[in-house]
Amino acid sequence: MLGSFAVLRKQSLLGDAISHAALPGIAIAFLIIGVKDSNLFLLGALISGLIGTFWIRGITKNTHLKSDTALGLTLSLFFGFGMLLLTFIQKQPNASQAGLDTYLFGQAATLLIEDVWLIAIVAGISLLILLVFWKEFKILLFDEDYTKTLGFNTNFIDILITTFIVITIVLGLQTVGVILMSAMLLAPAAAARQWTNSLGVMVVLAAIFGAFSGVVGTGISTVVGNLSTGPVIVLVAASIVFISFIFSPKRGLLFREIRFRKNRNNIKMQKTLAFMYGIAKTHENISHPHTIKILNDFQGFSKRSLQELVDFNYVKINGQQWSMTQEGYEKAANLYDQQIKDTHE
Amino acid sequence: MNSAQIIIQIIVALVAVACAIPGTFLVLRKMSLISDAISHSILLGIVIGFFIVEDTSSPLLIVLAALAGVVTVILVEFIQKTGLVKADTAIGLVFPALFSIGVILISKNANDVHLDIDSVMVGDLSLAPFDPLLINCTEGIADSCINLGPKAIWVIGIILIITLVLLFMFFKELKVSTFDPGLAAALGFSPIIMHYGLMTVSSVTIVGAFDAVGPILVVALMIAPAATAYLFTKDLKKMLLLSCFFGVFAAISGYWLAHLLDASISGSMTTVLAILFLLVYEPIITSILVSLAIGTGTIFYQYYEYLVANEIGFEQLLLGEKIKTVFTQFVTLDYIYILVIAAILSALLMYILPKRGVIFGYYKVRQQKTEIMLLVFLLHIRNHSEESERHVKHLNEHINWQRIRSKSIVELALKNNMITVEDKIISLTTKGEEFTEKAIDYIITNKDTEIEEMKDDFFLFRG
Repeated sequence: MLGSFAVLRKQSLLGDAISHAALPGIAIAFLIIGVKDSNLFLLGALISGLIGTFWIRGITKNTHLKSDTALGLTLSLFFGFGMLLLTFIQKQPNASQAGLDTYLFGQAATLLIEDVWLIAIVAGISLLILLVFWKEFKILLFDEDYTKTLGFNTNFIDILITTFIVITIVLGLQTVGVILMSAMLLAPAAAARQWTNSLGVMVVLAAIFGAFSGVVGTGISTVVGNLSTGPVIVLVAASIVFISFIFSPKRGLLFREIRFRKNRNNIKMQKTLAFMYGIAKTHENISHPHTIKILNDFQGFSKRSLQELVDFNYVKINGQQWSMTQEGYEKAANLYDQQIKDTHE
Repeated sequence: MNSAQIIIQIIVALVAVACAIPGTFLVLRKMSLISDAISHSILLGIVIGFFIVEDTSSPLLIVLAALAGVVTVILVEFIQKTGLVKADTAIGLVFPALFSIGVILISKNANDVHLDIDSVMVGDLSLAPFDPLLINCTEGIADSCINLGPKAIWVIGIILIITLVLLFMFFKELKVSTFDPGLAAALGFSPIIMHYGLMTVSSVTIVGAFDAVGPILVVALMIAPAATAYLFTKDLKKMLLLSCFFGVFAAISGYWLAHLLDASISGSMTTVLAILFLLVYEPIITSILVSLAIGTGTIFYQYYEYLVANEIGFEQLLLGEKIKTVFTQFVTLDYIYILVIAAILSALLMYILPKRGVIFGYYKVRQQKTEIMLLVFLLHIRNHSEESERHVKHLNEHINWQRIRSKSIVELALKNNMITVEDKIISLTTKGEEFTEKAIDYIITNKDTEIEEMKDDFFLFRG
């Protein structure tokens, strides 16, 4: 759901960066308290995730480095630091460090009921916030300068969205793990984007796609057995994206190809008609028959386009001869005007 | 230093250089995250290769892994070309999918063999010297092999040499196609070939370095030195050299940090890289913190060693208690020592590093503010001939400045001989008038070229 905002804000890989950036937070939380406590880990992850995000923003704002570099830097440097801490922890005597690294790859099966409740509550809160600030989010998303002139505090809204994205990611880490979290954030939103141009519909669709891939993914992994849940969920989500890419009615590749072909045939037909018009004009009787052979050298002519012209009743064919009808003549005469009109409308 | 330590350092230095070169171009081409994508999806290549040859050390694995990297790039390009989603979304969609397939394949088929995600995802350097490249082995006879030294050196060395050769051969082409693909195409060398060439080299490098440092740290080694160098210079050659230098520096000092903390080498390398980047990004704050840390660290370490040797039961303490015990040993002289060391070090660092960051930025903004206020003030004086408008007191109400601020501006103008004050009436000197004329020109001229020349005149009055 929040992924929609990330995708539209061109911050798709934020999820990836933050989920990596959360690692040192977890490690530091462990270093400080010395025991495993998943709530405190979440807090640590949240803090370091937020630091990571603001670092990314700072770098892109203050230097000439681009956002991709900033993301890559944050991701790798935070993660590296986290690795240092983790290995350091592992070398400590009496450290009950086992299980720290399950955070990296995620295990939905290890989730407890409390965790589920926590996720549900956070999801509820973020939904509420989304509804309350819907207008502000929307306007900030599409026209930041306009939002500023309207007197909204853009920084506040921006931080609000980012914080919620970070919270969602950190919670999701437990379920699908670091690497797959970015896909969970992105894939449903990217798929939803293909079906609609409206933000509201997109957010709802993304939520549905996300939930669907979650349920189906978990289902498959339990039925087949010996498959970890995370990757299966991601693959399901990826196939939804793939299907959306191809079959969505407006933006999909399939329909685009069909439209493309249609247009091309149309142009071919019009070109042939225009050429015939040029020939027919030179004769007194427009329906004077000509052989089809003279059309052969002309580009754009094909049997198919000729057949279409006949179907439209613009041309009549008689054996190896063709002749133009009155209707076709008028159509051809107006062809250019028509096209100019079309492009202007 | 024993020979194993030297070998590890050579390996990490080679890896750092091999990564820094393609990394520089990736950063410049705004494709840093491709390295992240490649480093994840080569897992798929490795897994498939493993199923074919059933051997983790086969060269086929490297080839397939590199191939998987290239496939990732092609897929990303393809999705991007459809125009359905943005470039970064395309990256974010492709690599988790490929990675998932890899993970599923492992968990499905390779449960009983030694190929788990952990070992693939987290590289380990400390064993590299003991994995020699053996050739001419005769089956069944031990010790018949010719030992050519550690395998990792060979792999990464060959990759580095190929990278260097390609870099020298195609430097011009790479440069042009990086900064102006249109021009490159017009000049007759295909940006697409350059693009895929670079991608293949990156892919191979990532695979080669992968064994040694693991996938995420490969990304760090590619991006961080290049990004740091980019903040230092805008010259491509200098940037390449600097990023190699930063890479090697981080590699060597990271090794010793790891040695000190007894932690992973790759982790400490990245930590050093992070500190390097922060030093350039936020020089003043970071250099103070780093020098304090270095100062404290040296003293801390001495006491720590002493306690380990002399205090019984110290080793078994928890980390927090250990630290507490060491700090109780500190005496006043130690703190003075730390402060002196830190002061010298941070002064040195600040001198070397470029001037940027929050504090310097604030200073710069203030300077610019003063400059603009001076201009406004001079323009105001110039526009009014009547005495009432030029009275010192009048400024407070007319230009809406506070008393102290207007006083400092008047003083600044006086110091620069731009105005004279007689009976609290301000008038411009000849120099002041010339300056104001120029300022008006400066303000109303829109052409960059003309402004460039004028800029110098205004810097004269800074501070």
